[in-house]
Amino acid sequence: MEEKIEIKPVNRGKRPFFFDDPAIDQLIAIIMAMSGELSVLYDRVDTIERLLETNGGLKRKDIEKFRPSQEIEDERNVRRNEYLARLFKIITDEKTNLTPHDKMRDYSNLMKELDKT
Amino acid sequence: MVLQAEHNFLITGDHDEVNRQHYVSRLRMHILNHIGGGMRKAFEQENKKETSKPETGETNLREKILNSNYGKFWSTMMVSCQDMVWESVIPPIERAQPKLNREISCQKNTLSKLFLNPDLKIPNYLTAVDIHRMPGSYHTERSNNDASQGALYDRGRFIYNAGQAGPFADGISRTMAEYISLKWPSFNPKKILELGCTIGTSTVPFVNKFKKSQVHAIDISAPVLRYGQARAEALGKRIYFHQMNAEKLDFDNGEFDLIFSCIMFHETSRKALPKILKECHRVLSPKGLMIHAELMPNNNLKDFDRFYMNWDAFYNNEPFYKTYTSLDPRELVLNAGFNEGSFFEVAIPDIDKSSAIEFNKVVSKSSVMSKNTGRVGEGVKWYTFGAWK
Repeated sequence: MEEKIEIKPVNRGKRPFFFDDPAIDQLIAIIMAMSGELSVLYDRVDTIERLLETNGGLKRKDIEKFRPSQEIEDERNVRRNEYLARLFKIITDEKTNLTPHDKMRDYSNLMKELDKT
Repeated sequence: MVLQAEHNFLITGDHDEVNRQHYVSRLRMHILNHIGGGMRKAFEQENKKETSKPETGETNLREKILNSNYGKFWSTMMVSCQDMVWESVIPPIERAQPKLNREISCQKNTLSKLFLNPDLKIPNYLTAVDIHRMPGSYHTERSNNDASQGALYDRGRFIYNAGQAGPFADGISRTMAEYISLKWPSFNPKKILELGCTIGTSTVPFVNKFKKSQVHAIDISAPVLRYGQARAEALGKRIYFHQMNAEKLDFDNGEFDLIFSCIMFHETSRKALPKILKECHRVLSPKGLMIHAELMPNNNLKDFDRFYMNWDAFYNNEPFYKTYTSLDPRELVLNAGFNEGSFFEVAIPDIDKSSAIEFNKVVSKSSVMSKNTGRVGEGVKWYTFGAWK
């Protein structure tokens, strides 16, 4: 019996970190992985719903066998894209753009403005 | 996103694995188009004020972006996503082994042929890093007659590319083959050679387009060639695969009428590149055609695009990328022995993403440069250069 192989990096080098504290890079990686697992779970629910709708009942092996058609895949991708937009809104939101923002100054400017009325 | 075309040796995965892979494709596109798009908006504007030299401009901009939270978010997500691509495809391939290797070695090949050379030394530009952070690069063998890197590359690249090059992941090559046949309709190459073919995805469109031609393809890595031969046979394509170093081809002078490559040179080296072009000149027949699709030379790009493209050199294990794009293809081709007048460069619209009118417009004009030439996965136009002998 041949030995099972393991596919591991050979010469990938160190993972680059971009934030001053690498824990932030690590946290983002964790969130990204979690986002994937939630999407996978959603697809599984979607598969179950479709099988129930079509067959009225369900066998576990039917879930494993199920592969989306191009049409179903397109539907799932619309949902995945909407999910991604919600997930990373804080980064992509034009008004935010991750620039530091002085709430106190904004507040005093607003109060000055309102005091005039 | 189109689904990948299945063949006997493609390893996708179980229900959840496939959905995880498809999610990673969407995630990557989101990071590129939406998060990367926002970063472009934020920094392109700011950089308009820059009047410095291109190289300094790019360095300054890189510093600015990588010091910003936006740049840090984008970069760390790009690296994580790249690793997620490979991690999402590895478990089913590990599970499929050693059966996959056994089936590939036992397959009866009636169409395609494979000539391996176990004595060939893999050059350090391919072994020094795991290119694209792909575990083991193209050449690593983990057991006898191992083809796993081929399976990893086939599925991994499709997920990375989010199916943008079509179900067979061959969009660039189909674009090139179509361009050649429309541009030079009376050109009938008897023998065709592809350099750096890996698993032969880019070879097949030339087999389909030039039906009377004998098509050869070389790569230096055995695992991808083993998989490539099995894949070609499964798809019913006749291809002669050779394990060879493009710097020193074991072919006769003037043997091929058409030589091409698909986004290969930037994974070689400063020393290897001129040698490869000289070899192309040597094995090309009189009046033969050499054509290569590659990254856009850097001098045509704005600072932001330069930063964006060269990011891969630093963080995606493609060390030669940055140097390659600073070189002048014309100079390289002329130094390899081709005549001044025979050099051409053209940005060809992607065959799947352009109308016939747009495509034909480029065919009828001898050379059209475009600033909309993207990198793999986003490009609407493909930069190609070459020469007639």
